Amino acid sequence: MIVVFSEDGENFKSAAALAQSLGEEIAGVAKQELKFTNKLYVTDFDEDVVVDIVSKESPTLVIGGDTKRDKTVAARVAARLRAAYAPSVVDLKSQGDRFVVKRIGYSGVALATLTLSKPAVITVGKGDSSPKEMQTQVIRQEGKGRVRVVERREGKGTVDLGSAKIIVSVGRGMGSKENVKYAQELADAIGAALAGSRPVTAEMGWLPEDRQVGLSGTKVKPKLYLALGISGQPQHLAGMKDSGLVVAVNKDKNAPIAENCDYLVVADTVEFCQEMVKRLKG
Amino acid sequence: MNVVVGFKVVPDETLIKVSSGKLDMNVAVKISTYDKNAIEEAVRIKESTGGKAIGVTVGNTDRKTIREALSMGVDEVVAISTQYTDVLGTATAIAEEVRSMNPDLVLFGETTTDGSTSGLGPMVAEFWGVPVITFAKSIKLDGKVIRAERSLTPVVEIVETELPTVVTVTGEINSPRIPTLRQIMESSKKPVRTKEFKSSPMASLDSVEPYLVQRKRIVLEGKTEEVVQKLIEALRKEGAL
Repeated sequence: MIVVFSEDGENFKSAAALAQSLGEEIAGVAKQELKFTNKLYVTDFDEDVVVDIVSKESPTLVIGGDTKRDKTVAARVAARLRAAYAPSVVDLKSQGDRFVVKRIGYSGVALATLTLSKPAVITVGKGDSSPKEMQTQVIRQEGKGRVRVVERREGKGTVDLGSAKIIVSVGRGMGSKENVKYAQELADAIGAALAGSRPVTAEMGWLPEDRQVGLSGTKVKPKLYLALGISGQPQHLAGMKDSGLVVAVNKDKNAPIAENCDYLVVADTVEFCQEMVKRLKG
Repeated sequence: MNVVVGFKVVPDETLIKVSSGKLDMNVAVKISTYDKNAIEEAVRIKESTGGKAIGVTVGNTDRKTIREALSMGVDEVVAISTQYTDVLGTATAIAEEVRSMNPDLVLFGETTTDGSTSGLGPMVAEFWGVPVITFAKSIKLDGKVIRAERSLTPVVEIVETELPTVVTVTGEINSPRIPTLRQIMESSKKPVRTKEFKSSPMASLDSVEPYLVQRKRIVLEGKTEEVVQKLIEALRKEGAL
């Protein structure tokens, strides 16, 4: 038995697609009625409840989504089943009674290969492959856990960075919160989503926290990633390394981002934005 | 209130370089970035409520790095040395300590900079049999009740539960203090208890290779108007604009 779960519908699909490729009976846990598994538990996703549902299926493999809540649930399931654990897996192969997986380590510097004994618990991010629909037995299961939600604030940004085709991303080198408007103008001119590094989102508040690209933020893979005034610490690179084309704008030719971009424009970020907008509109 | 704080000694990822197709991991070690936030929070809680802050570290037990945690205000450290172990093994070792110390609160960083599984806190909570709150960007204690703001991009949740509990904290929760010279001197008198832990990992590490994406690394320099023109042409040619 394989169990697939995610609080996010799209992420549930990519996990289900991977599960289907392994040709075993599949149980799912989701918030919505999605028809990609033999049976499906529909629940409002209290973490204690989901850990119980998944563990009781005695699975040989659990494939969770990659959201922060999904990863919290996955790690607890691994502990309860005393199972091998590998989150944010980019590749999985079944080899007899083991699984061989690949994942990124050392904040994006390394690609690690691990062998997992069975049972195993992994998580996967959103992907391009979609699962096929099947006859699904739906079971509703609600319940309350030990942690009570007092208040819930939805993020202000409705931008889904994970699926954006073009991203303009700002770092400290943008200079000030006021200057971010020039990056926004550029983003508007080329139909891009605006994102930022950890310092400008989580620490200085130039942009909302949900715009953060990096190890502790969103992992993105747009066709074009424009890094404005981002030095390129490993934690940031971990979130954008899979982008198609990377353009960096930086005054410092020796910033680490120089090694990790296709084009390095040595310029002032504000002047660059203004000039780009002028040319593209004119 | 007694607080246990887990922290990990890791190679400084900003110093890891690739040379002749291999990763050079023989670099200086440090306390993993967000574990420092966990230490700071543990020390603040100890200072405001009384009690003790006890550090636990598993794996590399580099003494100089452990002293940094002690200088920040941790009262003592349990240093558990192991051969390679996976996060499940680390959680097993820490849960054993936690059970014997029976603290009110156990803190970890949201993730480490080496394995980055974010799994240790949830696993310790599961073994210990208490609730867990992950990715907390602020916590407030009121008697036996803990209230936390969870950063679950893009959602923020305010949650509440009863102690004892395990909490993992994000980098936004505080700014880790820089110890004074006196605190550094005094840290040498604080106890470090060493232990050994053996387990066979369920997840074995077969290889670690450089994760490189080959980039063109074309440098455009000169007057802003000119380089912007060149860039736009190049991007149009690539079909990116």
